[in-house]
Amino acid sequence: MEITPIESRIRLAGLLIGAGLLLALATMLQIHPLAFVTFAVLGCPLICAGVALYLWSLVAAKRE
Amino acid sequence: MSTVIVVFIALAAAAALLMAFHAPWTRSREGKMLGFLALFLLPVAAMWGGLSEHMERAESTQFCLSCHVMEDYGHSLYVDDPSYIPAAHFQNNRVARDSACYTCHTDYAMFGTVRAKLRGLRHLQVQYFGTIPKPADIKLYEPYNNRECLHCHQGARKFEAASPHNKNPGLLESIKSNQKSCLSSGCHDIVHDVGSLKDATFWKPGK
Repeated sequence: MEITPIESRIRLAGLLIGAGLLLALATMLQIHPLAFVTFAVLGCPLICAGVALYLWSLVAAKRE
Repeated sequence: MSTVIVVFIALAAAAALLMAFHAPWTRSREGKMLGFLALFLLPVAAMWGGLSEHMERAESTQFCLSCHVMEDYGHSLYVDDPSYIPAAHFQNNRVARDSACYTCHTDYAMFGTVRAKLRGLRHLQVQYFGTIPKPADIKLYEPYNNRECLHCHQGARKFEAASPHNKNPGLLESIKSNQKSCLSSGCHDIVHDVGSLKDATFWKPGK
């Protein structure tokens, strides 16, 4: 099945969110300041970027 | 709580990755709804839950003492000498052991928790990106306020009726109004005292 540009953006968004959440999951394994820093500096930005890309893909889809 | 959040984050990650590998599902109405759930609602909720869990964990003694520079402060909680105020509180369960640092080093004021969290972020910045001071050089941001002691002790019979607190008229009031410091006026002045731990003996729990 051919993938449209919107779907490729959704795919990238899903991958970013999935990666961010898996990283967040890994930081939950131990109580340590480094776990918090990893969550805040890497996990959250990845999730936010994925969500933003998804929302943008919805808006862009209406324009296209 | 922790297990619930971990499972929730794992499910959210699985849902997001499922959508990533099945993007064409979003062509149908149900797929669009699933996409909104998996790529917006669940990740935002999971991120909020994770942040909340990390914030709660940051209040634990284990978290505070996991930085190398705080190790001596952790040892000071086990000094076998009741004149060490933190040790006496920790060993006698006057503060919860799993949140001992946070209990005494949080301002019991309106924005005390927020201030403690912001200071915690500064500590992380120094720990990972700054110059770490020697344990003995670590100082409080401001003189210790009696309010933090009175949060638990005020109204307690032992505190109110203790003869040293009533040896002069007005002394108890000056303690309560923070005019006379509990810690720095020569009464309870042995706190962590990490510089003298080499000569100290230590309590071993269970013995």
